[in-house]
Amino acid sequence: MNVKTRRWMTGVACAGLLAANMVPAVLAQTPVSGEAVTAEPGQEVKMMLLPKFLGILPFDQANQGAEEAAAELGNPTPLDFVGPTAENSVAGQIEFVTNAPAGEYDVIMLSNNSGDQIVPAAVAAQEAGIPVVTWDSPIPTGEGESLFVAQVDFDETGQVMAEMARSILGEDGGQFAILSASPDAANQNAWIAAMETALEDPAFENLELLEIVYGDDQSEKSYEQALALISKHPDMELIMAPTSVGIVAAAQALQNEGLCEEIKVSGLGVPAEMLEYTQNGCAPEFALWSFVDLGYLTYYVSYLLATGAIEGVEGERFVAGRLGEYEITKDPTRPDVDALRVLMGPFTVYNIDNVEEAAG
Amino acid sequence: MTVLLRRIRPEQFREFILLAVTIGLLLFFAAQIPNYFDPRSVNRLTTGLAITLVVAVGQVLVVLTRNIDLSVSSIVGLAAYMTGTLLTRDTTLSPFAAVLIAMAIGLTLGVVNGLIVAYGGVPAIIATLGTLALYRVILVEFSGAKTVTTADLPDWLNDVPSATIVTIAEYDLRLMVGVALVVVVLGLLILRYLPFGRRLYAIGSNPEAARNAGLPVKRDVFTAFVISGALSGLAGFMFLVRFGNITVTAAQGLELQVVAAVVVGGVAIFGGSGSMIGALLGVLLIEILQQSLLRWAGISEFVKDAILGLLILVAVTADTIILGRLREMWARVRRRDRAARQALTADEGGLAHGA
Repeated sequence: MNVKTRRWMTGVACAGLLAANMVPAVLAQTPVSGEAVTAEPGQEVKMMLLPKFLGILPFDQANQGAEEAAAELGNPTPLDFVGPTAENSVAGQIEFVTNAPAGEYDVIMLSNNSGDQIVPAAVAAQEAGIPVVTWDSPIPTGEGESLFVAQVDFDETGQVMAEMARSILGEDGGQFAILSASPDAANQNAWIAAMETALEDPAFENLELLEIVYGDDQSEKSYEQALALISKHPDMELIMAPTSVGIVAAAQALQNEGLCEEIKVSGLGVPAEMLEYTQNGCAPEFALWSFVDLGYLTYYVSYLLATGAIEGVEGERFVAGRLGEYEITKDPTRPDVDALRVLMGPFTVYNIDNVEEAAG
Repeated sequence: MTVLLRRIRPEQFREFILLAVTIGLLLFFAAQIPNYFDPRSVNRLTTGLAITLVVAVGQVLVVLTRNIDLSVSSIVGLAAYMTGTLLTRDTTLSPFAAVLIAMAIGLTLGVVNGLIVAYGGVPAIIATLGTLALYRVILVEFSGAKTVTTADLPDWLNDVPSATIVTIAEYDLRLMVGVALVVVVLGLLILRYLPFGRRLYAIGSNPEAARNAGLPVKRDVFTAFVISGALSGLAGFMFLVRFGNITVTAAQGLELQVVAAVVVGGVAIFGGSGSMIGALLGVLLIEILQQSLLRWAGISEFVKDAILGLLILVAVTADTIILGRLREMWARVRRRDRAARQALTADEGGLAHGA
């Protein structure tokens, strides 16, 4: 079952007017080396924002950011926020990308959940003249991908997770397990690999990774996986979940079982969903970046690429509205392949001191 | 054996077989997984049963009539999400009212299913496959991709999952499990003693004959779907309580688990045969398998689903083969008995003539 949700931008005309008032007539500049390209607003670009699946807060926030950028740029064609359901994520994503040329899209913005299985469809889209901009989660081999908008540096994610684990488990360390999303998720896999690399550092020698399990970004499955981890490993003191679905499911499981004193949860989560668990001590520390900004930046890059203002080559620089200037570089976290990256950042680590404010 | 066969019908053996298989599995996993019978582990496992069990009871009623309700998972999800949203908007809502609302939502969706199947004459598998998708889309549209989060829910909800009715030697009977067992007992009583329950068997065995005999076939099928819907609504409330965070994918895939449990429990998919106890054992077997495979350290994440599928196949096949043998033996014993009886009456008749 594919659920296609189309959220037509409300008040397109209104937004267009607003954008025209706010942004003084900026003309597209030919890319001169060293000078950042600025977008020319008001051009018609049919854009598809394709998250891993619909129905969770982070992707909804990314859509908000993209809509914000769309309003600023005064694109008369409304943004299509479409996606499969969670259990059909891989096949559904491939279907959307395959059908993009028929839908006459000008650019696809993809948070890839299909590993390299998406490559043939993405390559076909590119051959049909549709750039494929990945965000949140890249295509591992970089094939069929124009460039990747990275929320944070993936190596840094591993480092941040290792540091949070140490800060929760203390200097004497302890055992922990990882509760990930799906085994195909390129971003989670990259973060976990980066964390394993970080753990080799003597500074983290007391942290013992027991095992990695997958909850497929489904609440119930993640919940059951968390309970299974607790039963399997009596000495485990921490569940690290680098996924917004897994982290709340694990925290809820611990809270229901009254185990928050003995076992903690950490990882990547949305402050609004984590507030209670941070306040009651189940999840003392977790991290994230702004998904709104990520959607906003992705829209800007994709708009520039689709209008030909940038070509998507190494060394190009551009201005992304309120976020400022960015540069396209080689992706250092995928050294083996020829992939390009725009790096957003930064990480915010949330704890009892700042979670309430961020939750809004 | 012959004595046993004279006293018990083959269908009743099925429950013993299931029980034996379940106990066998428990012993196997107990040998594989350390601390398997640890009270805390057992408490967690039993709590996991409750939701599936409640949905399964409704499913049994529907399957008995030679129908199927595939939309249950979407009803659970929709009831959980809507009740959750209501509770976040009005945190003063009483627990009792919340349960009733969840059941009312399920009941309404069940009415739609019942109307389409019983009065519209659409095959149940098609109709509920349609509403399965339809109810899920309603949920996606209604939710606008937002999540119901625990932080917004009233505090009493947090206490329900660990609420315990009675504790015996550290083994809890949790409230949710208690509720599920009450539902099972009610279902059992309905099937065994109410005319409505007996009619469900008649309808499933031979719908044509049931109609000719003047049974209210349409009304009874409709009622079965309505009950299934209402129970799915109740399960939706339990889902909300247990998981706290409800996304639009809530309970997705539950329908297959429930149908598998009911079929493994010996409720014939072609209607007319099966019992509540069988369904209870079916749910128990499937859940124990699933939960134990998760906890089994010696096994990779990727082969677990395959093992689960294989074990379900083995369970059903073994059940069919053994039951087929038993039926033959039963028929043979009955034939022999009848022949003996006839011979006896013939002898008596002969004697009478002779006298």
